[in-house]
Amino acid sequence: MPEIILEDPDGTFAMLRDSVAAFAQRFDGARALRARRGAGKDLDRDIWSAMAEAGWLGLMLPEDLGGTGLGMSEQAILSEALGRALITEPLAQLSVFSGALLAGAEPGEERSRLAEGLISGSLVVSPVWQNTDGGPAAVAATVDAGGVTLSGTAGLVVAAASADVFLVAARANDGLLLVSVPAGSAGLTVSERPTVDGATLAELRFDSCHVAADQVLARGLLGSGLLDDAIQATQLTLAAELAGAGSKALEATVDYTKERVQFGKPIASFQAIQHRLVDMWSAAEFSCAAIVNALERLADEPGKPAALAVLAAKARAGDAAIDITRKAIHLYGAMGFTDECDIGLYMKRAVNLNATLGNPAQLRLQFVALERAA
Amino acid sequence: MAKQQDWNSLSDAEFRQIFRTWVDENCPMHLRNMRKQRPVFDEVAEWYHALAEKGWLSPVWPQEYGGMGLNAAKHIIYVEEWARLGCPRIPDHGIGLVGPLLIEFGTEAQKAHYLPRILSGQDVWCQGYSEPGAGSDLASLRTAAVRDGDSFIVNGQKIWTTLAHCAKWILLLTRTSRDEKVKQKGITVLLVDLTSPGVTVRPIENLRQEADFCEVFFENVRVPAENLVGEVDKGWNLAKAVLGHERIFLGAPSRPEVALSRLEQLAEARGAFQDPAFVARYARLRLDLYDLGSAFERFARQLRDNGTLGADVSVLKIFCSELYQKITEETLDIAGEEARFLDDLPAGNGHVDAMNLYLDSRALAIFGGSNEIQRTILAKAVLGLPS
Repeated sequence: MPEIILEDPDGTFAMLRDSVAAFAQRFDGARALRARRGAGKDLDRDIWSAMAEAGWLGLMLPEDLGGTGLGMSEQAILSEALGRALITEPLAQLSVFSGALLAGAEPGEERSRLAEGLISGSLVVSPVWQNTDGGPAAVAATVDAGGVTLSGTAGLVVAAASADVFLVAARANDGLLLVSVPAGSAGLTVSERPTVDGATLAELRFDSCHVAADQVLARGLLGSGLLDDAIQATQLTLAAELAGAGSKALEATVDYTKERVQFGKPIASFQAIQHRLVDMWSAAEFSCAAIVNALERLADEPGKPAALAVLAAKARAGDAAIDITRKAIHLYGAMGFTDECDIGLYMKRAVNLNATLGNPAQLRLQFVALERAA
Repeated sequence: MAKQQDWNSLSDAEFRQIFRTWVDENCPMHLRNMRKQRPVFDEVAEWYHALAEKGWLSPVWPQEYGGMGLNAAKHIIYVEEWARLGCPRIPDHGIGLVGPLLIEFGTEAQKAHYLPRILSGQDVWCQGYSEPGAGSDLASLRTAAVRDGDSFIVNGQKIWTTLAHCAKWILLLTRTSRDEKVKQKGITVLLVDLTSPGVTVRPIENLRQEADFCEVFFENVRVPAENLVGEVDKGWNLAKAVLGHERIFLGAPSRPEVALSRLEQLAEARGAFQDPAFVARYARLRLDLYDLGSAFERFARQLRDNGTLGADVSVLKIFCSELYQKITEETLDIAGEEARFLDDLPAGNGHVDAMNLYLDSRALAIFGGSNEIQRTILAKAVLGLPS
């Protein structure tokens, strides 16, 4: 089945894939998702700790912050494998996005503490920078001698009930600040809503929420490109996870249609079904090719070519995973419409990841606007 | 013909530079970006002879036979630069099909006789495969060859024979015996002189009202037995073996690339980029083309690394041909009332051949194995789906 193909001279990628496969033996993704959903939780801390032990949470964080210092390619291979295994803890946001923000933040005690906690799994560090409509969060920061006071709302926050710390992008007079806000701070209200794939997204409300001056981790987030870099890395991570989920859903559907007998024959012998399966496979192939292209552009042509390639990869992988999983449900027939059958979980997961950080229609428009900009 | 150097020892960039520079200087400007996909020999003879003289007519034949001996990586560059510079396609069945077949399966006498004549442009070849009753189901072909002393007597009909009206020779798949269970058995490859008595070539106008393919009739045509390639009844695998990595080029992004640039030109001229609905549709086409480039590179890399390609490469042809159609359809859509015109549409300082491309784009999804055939092949070969 299609996968991301990269040269692997020292076997790192194969090792990452093996470690996810072994992990999935211990923690069955679908079962964990159902358990988390049943318990109404936003994060399984046992699984999260095990992911930390596997060394996955600090994969891209630099070594001087305690991370592994690996690159985007390793992250893509890891996330593709997690997508395949349906391991749905929000690593893209809590590790990649938060990690990128911390890596680019100003050196200091708070940054070191958070990075260490993020990598070890002892601190869940959730980024807060968007509104529920995907636009920038409407959180205003008033800076005074005693620190920073935050007011306003933000949305689309993952694992908000489990989070120990929020990394909040707040608007001050002189630009966007990155502020570390401990969960449970006075003046901070969290309200979670369920997502389709058995997790949650929360709205956060800041009512004169006060934090100390040394909790400001970075200034001028937009001018420095820090936020853009975090978005880009996370988009590509999500693309890889979508590619993995799509490829696995295809594989499961091929197996199912080979076994399911109607009219005395496996339904996979019927041409109408074969051609649908081929189109699903084609979509998965194109996703993997788009991701490899993005990884190469990031390495060889950072800047506009890389930015275009990442937008294309997320759009392609999203479209593909949505298309594959929808067709998969259909090809499973009534079984596909049951909650008991795992294929539906793949579709739901694809819907979540596809909508995160830009759906394909939005990303395509961004691509065209960027490409055509003089 | 100039002595060949070892092209494969150059870096890709060096080879690209050398090839591009020469082609740009030597391909006549009036032949660039021709409307016709398949010009006849006389229309492009200048270019054919320039390549022949340089020794660059045949990219992949081994150098001992007068080819450039390019490996797959260099061959891809050859094709890419050719397309990038808008060079016309030449009648290439001799180079792409007959040469490789003879080099692999031909006798020494056949190689010595036919190969130099292909390289010089003296013999133009065409490919006699499809028949009225054997298109997608090629193995059910019926054109009969019966042994008669030192000859075969051929009777039957071929169709969709590209450029037969400007060819002197045809590579012919014939039926020499019939196996009730396996249609692929009993097929024999013959080299047939189209000027032989009993051969009639009748051009067919295509959808663009150009004659680029033909019907070819054989009535008691006598073919010398020495024109047999390989063994009698065992021609099917020969015909399949020479397809090789050339299949990747059916999915190369060049055609949809040209079409998208025309769409952009027309859209700019008509202000369509001010219309958000158009921009959304355009964005999908633009990204499809961009991703086709990434997918092409995925297979090109496989070819460079392993020297071969699997059946999965035909996914490019499916995607490419369907994208080409979508782009040309969109171009007609934004032409509005003017979509009816046969001639080119004024657009800014130039013209856009909207109808020309629209009609042309119907073909690629059909030839070289229709997209439905390709999907069925992929279902079996890649996904292992049962019959």
